[in-house]
Amino acid sequence: MTRDEIREQVEQVFQDVFQDDDVRLRDDMTANDVEGWDSLMHVNLIIALEKRLAIKFAAAEISRLTEPGQNVGNLLDLVMRKRSQRA
Amino acid sequence: MNVASLEWVLGLLVVSAAFFLLKDVRQRQVCFAVLSFLFLVTQALNIPAWTLLVVFLATGFTAGNALARRPSTALLTCYLGALVMTFVIIKKYSFLDGILPPRVLQHQVVLVGLSYMLFRQIHFVVDAQQGQIEKVSLWTYLNYQLNLFGLQAGPIQRYQDFAESWQELTPVLVGREAILRAYLRLFWGVIKVLGLAAACWWGYTKVLSAYLTASEGWQVSAEFLLILYLFPAYLYFNFSGYCDIVIAGASLVGLRMPENFSDPFLSRNIAELWTRWHRTLGLWIRDYLFTPLFKTFAERWPRASKPLSFVAYLVAFTLAGIWHGSTWNFLVFGLLNGLGVVAAKVWEAYLLKKRGRAGLRQYLHSPRIALAARVATIHYFCLTLIFWSNDVAASIGILKRLPDALVH
Repeated sequence: MTRDEIREQVEQVFQDVFQDDDVRLRDDMTANDVEGWDSLMHVNLIIALEKRLAIKFAAAEISRLTEPGQNVGNLLDLVMRKRSQRA
Repeated sequence: MNVASLEWVLGLLVVSAAFFLLKDVRQRQVCFAVLSFLFLVTQALNIPAWTLLVVFLATGFTAGNALARRPSTALLTCYLGALVMTFVIIKKYSFLDGILPPRVLQHQVVLVGLSYMLFRQIHFVVDAQQGQIEKVSLWTYLNYQLNLFGLQAGPIQRYQDFAESWQELTPVLVGREAILRAYLRLFWGVIKVLGLAAACWWGYTKVLSAYLTASEGWQVSAEFLLILYLFPAYLYFNFSGYCDIVIAGASLVGLRMPENFSDPFLSRNIAELWTRWHRTLGLWIRDYLFTPLFKTFAERWPRASKPLSFVAYLVAFTLAGIWHGSTWNFLVFGLLNGLGVVAAKVWEAYLLKKRGRAGLRQYLHSPRIALAARVATIHYFCLTLIFWSNDVAASIGILKRLPDALVH
């Protein structure tokens, strides 16, 4: 899967989880840019991504994504890495 | 030896000045390891405690190493189960009375910092199993667990973060001003622990005995308020002062330690408070208790995920409460904090439903509401801390006089 294909899939997951079809992902987006992206929704997002993309996140990875400076770009990179490990 | 003692601070100043005369990273690591060991020796461990420590470290490293090479959920589960069971026996938890034979709980093992070592150990083996530790090294692991700056009471650092600065172990303070700031923080920490915390504790113990015996009229209200504020103030100055000393001390020898406090009394709910007060514990609870628990619930029963998140909060915070101490009052403390988090989440969900996203945003931006939320959060947290400093019966005794205090 290319990065754009991953982005498309992840964007659909965001739209489902946050129940908002207008969500458009940019690499520099953070949790502050998406309405309702709190710690609980973060876990819901992780569960939905794992299901949709058939990957598994580690506890440390889930946590790291919430650290200051982390953004959607980092999430996409992580998903890409996990998908390539799986292949 | 206490980290706020004169000998510790003077020793630190001398050692940190001499430390970087050592040119080689390996020399500095050996020097640091020797200092950590000497610090451990000052903690007056008896033979059973030394034995426990050796077994704890040997099994932790072996399990982490084995899990990193060949992940196994069965091995991880067995190891964590044995680890936690050993911990509750060593700590002589109250609920074990009547379950285990009395002689099992009559042991003399007292190991300083064991609670913190336990959380570091759980993190280490879980992350090793999940492929999050690239290189498991015995030398790094031993220094991670026995690091003199985190031995007594944290902060709970991640292995990966420790390993990163350990491998370099070079000055992290660049320039005279940064070094002076570290010295200033060190001495401010000492003042907090020896001055402010000690004064709050002295006041608290004096007022507590007066409050429980013969006070009447407006004195009940005044004494209740002093009890309510003085113990949290003592705890804050004591623990944040300790953290100032160890974080500044670590930075003087080239180690980065995570921050543990970030203006906790500005939190607008209990969930936020645990990301500001003892935040390395709050984050540990989130990462290794709440998230896995909630994830399991939500994957199994997706339709009931919202109410089950409340169960996960309650379980996680109750377990974290129990971790603080072996008596029942700590369970109540944890449970009350869990309830505080659930209340915050329920309130937010209610506002969202009633006002919509835009209304919630408006609510959150209101300075008056922010002030009210902060005041309510501080007072609720202070109330829960009554169960920290007293056993359950004594805490209820204090709270029973609350109506009298409110009337006056």
